[in-house]
Amino acid sequence: MDFVCELEADMNERVNRLRRATLETTPRLSIERAALLTEFCRKDKTASVPIRRARAFQYIMENKEIYIGKDELIVGERGPTPKAAPTFPELCCHSLGDFEILNSREKISYSVDNRARQIQRDEVIPYWQGRSMRDLIFAEMTPEWKDAYEAGMFTEFMEQRAPGHTVLGDVIYRQGLTDLKTEIKTALSHLDFINDPEASAKRDELRAMAIAADAVIRFAERHAEKAEDLAKAESDRGRQAELYKIAEVCRHVPAYPPRDFWEALQAYWFTHLGVVTELNTWDSFCPGRFDQHLYPFYQKGMEGGTLTRDKAKELLECLWVKFNNQPAPPKVGVTAAESGTYTDFANINNGGLKRDGSDGVNDVTYLILDVIDEMHLLQPSSNLQLSKKNSDAFLKRGLEIVRQGWGQPSIFNADMVVEELLRQGKRVEDARGGGISGCVETGAFGKEAYILTGYFNLPKVLEVTLNNGIDPRTGKKIGIETGDASAFSSYEQLVAAFRKQLHYFVDIKLRGNQVIERLYADYMPAPFLSLLVDDCIAKGKDYNDGGPRYNTTYIMGVAPATCTDSLAAIKYHVFDRKTLSMEELLLALAHDFAGHEKLRRLLWDRTPKFGNDDNYADAILADVFNAFFEEIDGRRNTKGGNYRVNYLSTTCHVYFGSMTGATPDGRRAWEPLSDGISPVQGADRKGPTAVVKSAAKMDHVRTGGTLLNQKFTPQLLKGEDGLDKVAHLVRSYFRLGGHHIQFNVVTAATLCAAQADPEKYRDLIVRVAGYSDYFCDLTRALQDEIIARTEHEAFAPAIPETATV
Amino acid sequence: MTVAEVLAEVSKDQVFFDESEGGITVSGGEPLTQPVFVEALLAACRARRIRTALDTCGFADSRVVRRISEYVDLFLYDLKLMNCEKHRRFTGVKNDLILHNLRILAAQRSAVIVRLPVIPGVNDDTDNIDALSDFLSSLDLREIELLPYHRIGSEKYNRLRLCNRMEGVDPPGGEQMETLAARLRRDGFCVRIGG
Repeated sequence: MDFVCELEADMNERVNRLRRATLETTPRLSIERAALLTEFCRKDKTASVPIRRARAFQYIMENKEIYIGKDELIVGERGPTPKAAPTFPELCCHSLGDFEILNSREKISYSVDNRARQIQRDEVIPYWQGRSMRDLIFAEMTPEWKDAYEAGMFTEFMEQRAPGHTVLGDVIYRQGLTDLKTEIKTALSHLDFINDPEASAKRDELRAMAIAADAVIRFAERHAEKAEDLAKAESDRGRQAELYKIAEVCRHVPAYPPRDFWEALQAYWFTHLGVVTELNTWDSFCPGRFDQHLYPFYQKGMEGGTLTRDKAKELLECLWVKFNNQPAPPKVGVTAAESGTYTDFANINNGGLKRDGSDGVNDVTYLILDVIDEMHLLQPSSNLQLSKKNSDAFLKRGLEIVRQGWGQPSIFNADMVVEELLRQGKRVEDARGGGISGCVETGAFGKEAYILTGYFNLPKVLEVTLNNGIDPRTGKKIGIETGDASAFSSYEQLVAAFRKQLHYFVDIKLRGNQVIERLYADYMPAPFLSLLVDDCIAKGKDYNDGGPRYNTTYIMGVAPATCTDSLAAIKYHVFDRKTLSMEELLLALAHDFAGHEKLRRLLWDRTPKFGNDDNYADAILADVFNAFFEEIDGRRNTKGGNYRVNYLSTTCHVYFGSMTGATPDGRRAWEPLSDGISPVQGADRKGPTAVVKSAAKMDHVRTGGTLLNQKFTPQLLKGEDGLDKVAHLVRSYFRLGGHHIQFNVVTAATLCAAQADPEKYRDLIVRVAGYSDYFCDLTRALQDEIIARTEHEAFAPAIPETATV
Repeated sequence: MTVAEVLAEVSKDQVFFDESEGGITVSGGEPLTQPVFVEALLAACRARRIRTALDTCGFADSRVVRRISEYVDLFLYDLKLMNCEKHRRFTGVKNDLILHNLRILAAQRSAVIVRLPVIPGVNDDTDNIDALSDFLSSLDLREIELLPYHRIGSEKYNRLRLCNRMEGVDPPGGEQMETLAARLRRDGFCVRIGG
C-alpha cells in the first residue's frame, strides 16, 4: 500500500528511519531479565521482602544490556534491543512448551533462540517452578473457584501479570529521584517505633524505595556512559554532538527534575522503563496527561528560542518509536496459544480539564495529535478527553485522525470521568487530574491503584441459572440450585434466580481476589512504582499494599448486551407473549438450535433488542446492570479501598463466547458474546443514534468505565460535513452521560480483502476493543467478529427492521 | 400511526436535534397527499420547538401549501422540468400548479431549497437549466441542490415485476454534475451536489 510512503512525506529523515525500523523488527523473547533475576535470587540472602525485591531490581538495572540505536534521541530499552520482550518468572514461569508455542504460533509470535531455551530449562524453571505468583495463587484457590474459572465464568488478571493499571501524575516533572530520596529520609525519620506496630515494615518499604531510586539513577548513568563511548568512536560530527547531548540528558534525569522539553521526555521514558522492568504491570505504564505535563517545558523552550515546534515533534516521535519498541511480554499456559495482541495498552490522554477545572487543551495537545497522525503506530494508544469545555476544533482534529480508519484516538467524556471519580469519593482536583488508562478504565493519575482483577461472564451466569446450577458445556455442577427454570412462572422469578446465581459467583471471585491481593501485598511489592504514586512514601506503604491515596478493585462485566437480549427474549416470548414455552426454549438451546432454526429466527429477528432505543430491552439492561452493581460496588478490598464495576471486554468476549453455549437471544453456541457495552453484533438495526441512546441508558456514573464500539465506513466521515455529523453524535452521547465511544472506520469489503490477502494489508489497523491492532495479527475468529460488527453505511437503518422468519 | 406515535418516535432524537440544530424532514411519496395528518404533525413539532422540513414536489392544493407553510421551517422543493408539456409527459401532470405554489412560498419569504433531480436526456439540457435559472432568479430563490439520478430503485422494479421506464438511463457522471453546478453558480445560485 502506498499509505506508508504518503505518511513519510511529512516526517523527517531520522524519524522515518526509526519508524521503519520499529515496524520491520520482529518481536522476540529476551531471557536477559529472567536470567539476571534468577542469578540474583539464588545468591541473595536478604530477609526483608521489599528490600530483596528492590535489590533484585537494582541488580537487573545495573547489569542489563544498554542499547543506544543509531538515530535515536530518546534512549533506553526494556530488553537488550528493540522489540525484545523480557519475561517475569517470579510472576509466571514459561514452560519449554510455552516457548515452542510462542516461537511457532501463526499470530503474535515471539522468536525464541536456543540460548533462551537452555537458560529457561537449566536455570529459570528449576528455581521458579512452584515459587511464581501464578503457582502461589492457584495453590490458594478453592475448588469452587477453579470450577468457575475453568468453566469460563471469570478470568483472573493476576495469574499472569502484576497489578498496575496505574498512570503517572506530574511528580517526575517537579522532582528528581534524588528529591524523592530526601522525602524518604524524612519519612524514615518520622517513623514511630514505640507506638506504630508497622514501623519496621514501613522502614523496610521506604529503604526499598530508596534502593529502587538508586537503581534507576544508575540505569540512566549507564546510558550516559554508553553515549559518551559511542560519541568518542563516532566519525559523524552531527551525530557525535547528539550523543554528547544524550549523555548530558541522562546524567541529569531522572536523578534531578527536567530542565527542558527533551529532558522531560527522557525522564518519563526512564521512569517508564523502571516501572515495566520492576514488574510486568498490567497495561504497561503511561504518562497520562502528557500534554499538560509537557506544556510548561514546551512554552519555556519556545519563548527562550531553544525549542521549535518541529524539534519538539521530532523528540516526541522518537519517544513514540520507543513505546512501539515494547511488545507486551508473552503470556504462559493456555493463553500463550490464543492471546491476541502485542499492544501493551499505554494510552496517552489528550485535552480534557486542568486540575482547576478549566479547559486543558493547549499547543502540545495539538502537537501530540499531529504526532499520532504522522506516526500511525500501534503503540502508544491515544485518546481524546473531551469535556464540554473543550472546543469543537479539538474534537474535529481528533476525528480527522479517526477517519483514517486505524482506530485511534478513542474519545472519552472527560466530565463523566470526573463525575465517576467523584462518586467514588475522590477529591475534585484529583478527579480532574485523572483520566483513563488501558482501554477505558477511570483513575486518579498519580494517586490511585485501580486494579482490574478479571472479566466476568454475565451470559454464563444466565446459562447456569437456566440449567439450575449445571454448566451444560461440561455437565458439571458449578453453581447453586436456583430451581428448575421451566417451572418459573414469571420474569421476576427468573431475575431473582439469576441474582442468586450471580451472588454465588461474585462471592467466589471476590474471595479469590482478596487472597490474591494479600499474596501480592506480602510477596510482590513494587518499591519503584511506589515511589511515583502519592501517598506511598508518606504512608511508608507499598503500591500493592494500600500505599496509594486511593485503592480501587475492579471486576469487569462482560457482554451485558448478550445477557440483556437473552433475558428480553425470555421475558417477551415466554412470559409476555407466551409464543413459546420455557421447555421448548431450553430444548432448542441444548441442541444449539439444531432442528429449531425457525425458533432461532424468532428469537433473533422478532425480539426487542438492546441498541435500538427500545425501552423494553433497555429496561432489562438496567436490571442486569443493577444486579451486577449491587453485588460488587462498595464492598471492601484488603487495602482500605472498595470494589467497583466497569464494562469492557478487550478480546475476552471471544473467549467467553467459546465457553458459552447457545443463548436465548438466538446466538449459536461458542460464537463471540457482545463486546464492551456495544449491542450484540448485528442486533442494532436503527443506526448509531439509537445505539448511543440505548447505551446512555446505562448509568455510567456508577461505573469506572464503559466501552462502546462503533464501526463506520470512511464515506460517513467524508468532508467537513461528515466530521460535523460524527462530532454531533459524540457530543450527543456525552450529553446523555456516555463514558466512551470509539470508531472503526473501514469497509467490511476492505476487511475481507485483508483476510484473504494479509500481505497487502500489513499496516491495516483496526479498533479491537479498548485498543487498536493490526488486523492481520488477529486470530481468524476475532477478524470475523470485527467484520460482523454492524456496519453503519449511513445515519439511517442499514438493515430492514424485521426480516422475515 | 397517530400523530402522537410519530411524535414519540421523533422525540427520541431530541438530543441530536439540540446538538446539531437538526429536526425532522417530512418526506414521501408525497406528504401533501395527506395534508391533514402532515399539518397536525408539523404543528405538534412546532409546539415542541422541533425544526421541520418538508420534502415535496409541490403538486398540491395551494390553500394546503399556504396553511402548512406556517409550520415549515424549510421546504425541499422538487422542480423537475420547466417545460409544462415535457413535465406532463414524464410525471403525468402539468407543472403550472407546482410553479404557482413555489411563487406563493417565495412571495411569503419561506425558506426554500429547490431540488433538481438530474436525469440525463430528460432535464439536463440547456433549455431546462436556463429556464430554471430565470424562473428562480425572478423569485429571488438562491439555493439549489442537484441530485444525481441513481438506479437504486431498478432492482425493486424487477422484484415487483413492474416496467421500469427509466431502463437504460445512466446516472450522470461527477464531471457533468460539476459542470451543471458551475453553470448555475455563475448565475449567482448557491449550489450543492448530493442532498
